Amino acid sequence: MKRILILLAIALMASAVFAQTAKDTLVEDKFGSIDTLDPAQSYDTSSSLVIQNVYETLYAYKGTSAGEFVPALATGYKVSSDGSTFTFTLRKGVTFHNGDPFTCADVAYSIKRAVITNNPQSGDWILAGPLSGYTSDATTALGKDATDADYHKYFQTVDNSVTCPDPYTAVFHLAQPSPTFFARLLFGAASIIDKKWAIENGQWDGTEATWKKWIGFDLHNSYLQDHMNGTGPYQMVQWVPGQKFVAKAYDGYWGDKPAIKNVLINRDSEVSTRILNLQKGNADYIDLGARSDVKQVEGAPGVKIWNLDGKLGWSAAAVDAIFMNEQIKADNNPNIGSGKLDGNGIPPDFFASKDVRLCFNYSFDRKAYGQQVLLGMGQQLTMALPSSFLGYDPNIPEYSLDLEKAAQHCKAAFDGKLWQNGFKVTLLYNTGNTSRQTALEILKSNLEYLNPKFNVTVRGVAWPDFIKQASESTMAAYALGWGADYADPDNFITTFYAKGGYYADQYHFSNPQINQLNEQARTETNPEARKLMYSQIGNLAHDLSPIILVPRAYPILVTSTSLKGVYYNPMIGNGEFLWSKVSK
Amino acid sequence: MLTFIVRRVLFLPVVFLGVTLIIVLLMQLLSPAERAATFITSPAQLQNINVIIDKYGLDKPWYSQYWHWLDAALHGNLGYSTVARTTVLNAIATRFPRTMTLALAALFPIVGVGIWLGTAAALNRDKVVDQFTRVLAIVGWSLPTFVLGIWLLVIFYGGLNWFQPGILTTGDSILLSNLTANGAFHNYTGFLILDSLFNGRFGIFLDFVWHLILPVITLSAVTSAQIMRVMRSSLLDALGQDYVRTARSKGLSERVVNTKHARRNALISVLTVSGFTIILLFNGVVITETIFSYPGMGQWFAAAATQLDYASVLGGAVFTAMVVVFANLVVDVLYALVDPRIRYD
Repeated sequence: MKRILILLAIALMASAVFAQTAKDTLVEDKFGSIDTLDPAQSYDTSSSLVIQNVYETLYAYKGTSAGEFVPALATGYKVSSDGSTFTFTLRKGVTFHNGDPFTCADVAYSIKRAVITNNPQSGDWILAGPLSGYTSDATTALGKDATDADYHKYFQTVDNSVTCPDPYTAVFHLAQPSPTFFARLLFGAASIIDKKWAIENGQWDGTEATWKKWIGFDLHNSYLQDHMNGTGPYQMVQWVPGQKFVAKAYDGYWGDKPAIKNVLINRDSEVSTRILNLQKGNADYIDLGARSDVKQVEGAPGVKIWNLDGKLGWSAAAVDAIFMNEQIKADNNPNIGSGKLDGNGIPPDFFASKDVRLCFNYSFDRKAYGQQVLLGMGQQLTMALPSSFLGYDPNIPEYSLDLEKAAQHCKAAFDGKLWQNGFKVTLLYNTGNTSRQTALEILKSNLEYLNPKFNVTVRGVAWPDFIKQASESTMAAYALGWGADYADPDNFITTFYAKGGYYADQYHFSNPQINQLNEQARTETNPEARKLMYSQIGNLAHDLSPIILVPRAYPILVTSTSLKGVYYNPMIGNGEFLWSKVSK
Repeated sequence: MLTFIVRRVLFLPVVFLGVTLIIVLLMQLLSPAERAATFITSPAQLQNINVIIDKYGLDKPWYSQYWHWLDAALHGNLGYSTVARTTVLNAIATRFPRTMTLALAALFPIVGVGIWLGTAAALNRDKVVDQFTRVLAIVGWSLPTFVLGIWLLVIFYGGLNWFQPGILTTGDSILLSNLTANGAFHNYTGFLILDSLFNGRFGIFLDFVWHLILPVITLSAVTSAQIMRVMRSSLLDALGQDYVRTARSKGLSERVVNTKHARRNALISVLTVSGFTIILLFNGVVITETIFSYPGMGQWFAAAATQLDYASVLGGAVFTAMVVVFANLVVDVLYALVDPRIRYD
């Protein structure tokens, strides 16, 4: 008996020692946990990664580019001269993973389902805006006094927004012309699901008789939450929430057959475990934590770090900034001390002064931040737009540390009272985000160096408190970032700089010239003209200095050396590759 | 005895109401926006914060929110866990068997090693065995679980590559998913250790058992040290009692005196401590499961608490309270079995 047990132990140890992932198997060790498998509910990068590999949209991102697209479920498209009608020719011979044929009915159903449910946790607003004219769901958009006639009209608008003249032609009718619409159609919510299968499994039946039940519906409670049936190169095998996702190659896929036949996504919250898994050959791709974790894997046998020197030219579709709130809520607000310019606080309109904003901007040492946090692997943006996006203007001057200019602006602010009395302010970041903490501390140390009467406190607050303060506009200045929802400059420019933009409204920035240019750019269909408008907005924003742009790290990917064909597309998951494009 | 057990079980609804009410009241210290944070994962969702508050009734009075939750809970709906990414009931159903397996697997070394070493130390007082055991107990008791866990992981995975974290190797993990998807693997009990045997998948069984070894060592080290110390001191105490002397004077063998007379009485103190051991184990799994990427209740609770996952905290607290009440009940029943003087009727 003893001998058997010893032999068994040796056999098990041997199997553990020699365990390596198979050549046709991709194992990813991820930090994030998949929230949902329903494209119409998903709004997180972990979910979108699996959705993008199992489902397909009409067009897909081309290689590493966020701005170039290749046909997927559509083979071509036309836009009407006024930019309000998009006609897509659909691919023939495509089948869903259960064998059902793909037709325009599936396109119309998928899009309308997303627009109608439009749950506030989802990203469906991205489609709902151009198609229904409202970004929120029908109940919120129409208000409490809405009549049945109002609801009927709303439904008609949505129902007519996608039509099918024949099974392989899909026509989108927009509520208003939108040059951003095409990019929005690549967002996960626009993934095409099988209408027949969805209805058979208790989803909205596509009629006006039942649609009201689905308005704002939390699709976490629906069949598609944990079941998938797409047209993509991979089909789902099993999802164990919070633990793992398993997929296999779909034999009936219309495109090239992928080299990777099996995919296992493991969820590992500990970075040290993920690194060990990679080093031991039990993972092919891992998420790192902070940029400093690079040191733990650099030079390790069997490990490859892609784009470590930034020479692959990869660019993240995200912007980090320090926001300066121009209308701070004053009541009992500890962030602004006394609420007056008496040396013990700041007035609520402190950052409405351009001189103050410039003083802060010239006090931020981007080089120090790049070295301390990004280990020299960062990129400084000239405007709040990723450098790979249309309209990014690299010729706009960058702010850099200039304490002389900073002092000059601080002396000019509030007719010299600021310099004379000093100020006291609290800057906030969400606890745990050490990069943002460091950015604010660098700013603090330089501001306090300018004048001993300047008193800056940097404080971390828990995410819930951060959200509370954001919604109540009590933060004076704070560090935050924004990742792209869809690959169009509108998603950044409106958010950061324009009236009605989420961040712009939150930190109360509004400039008539920028607002006007932005409105024009949102309906302008000529890319060259748009490019020029966004460049003009970037220049104006530079002059007005409403935010402090914080350098962002070059994207890197950490894989095993056996993984070939790795590339980075900022719009795939949290910025990675499609499984079908890599091999071992 | 039966009356006692029934009385204890009837007490459960009171525990249920008490625990949930306290948590709901504590959650009221947070503003609606703070409570909405659990539904928000990215800055882009911040723009919907008011819609989310309205949708989930987070600005309604506490009693209204509590009643809403209670009504749903009594109908078998404990809500949706934003951390576990599934319903709270489903999260308990999938994670509890894993944690239970780990805790039960740890209980054997905890009790076995604890009692064995404690007995050996007491019977060899001040000898080498005793000194060695005492040092071991101090080291075990003072070694933080996370330190031991990480050491074991670094040595046996990072260095020797004998064990790996998680619950299955890549090949078996994919195999199990394929078998489950094809209906070739049935979850009869929810306990992988049993289901793998019932399905005739011995490879998966052995793989899972192999993955349990390091977490079990980590989890049992601290607690068995405690049992060892209690066993040693109470056995020493028992060995000095009159009835032991009487037993010896009757001419009984030393073995019978030690095991039947002294050790049985000493076990009463160990049983008392064992009741706490269950609670300690539940604390221990939080760290152990996190270190070894073992997807059980502990890993879930830790994340739920830090991310203010309201539904998980409520559901998880109710469940834990039930487990603790049940564990205490078992200990009380065992008391009566070990000590004939104890009667509950």
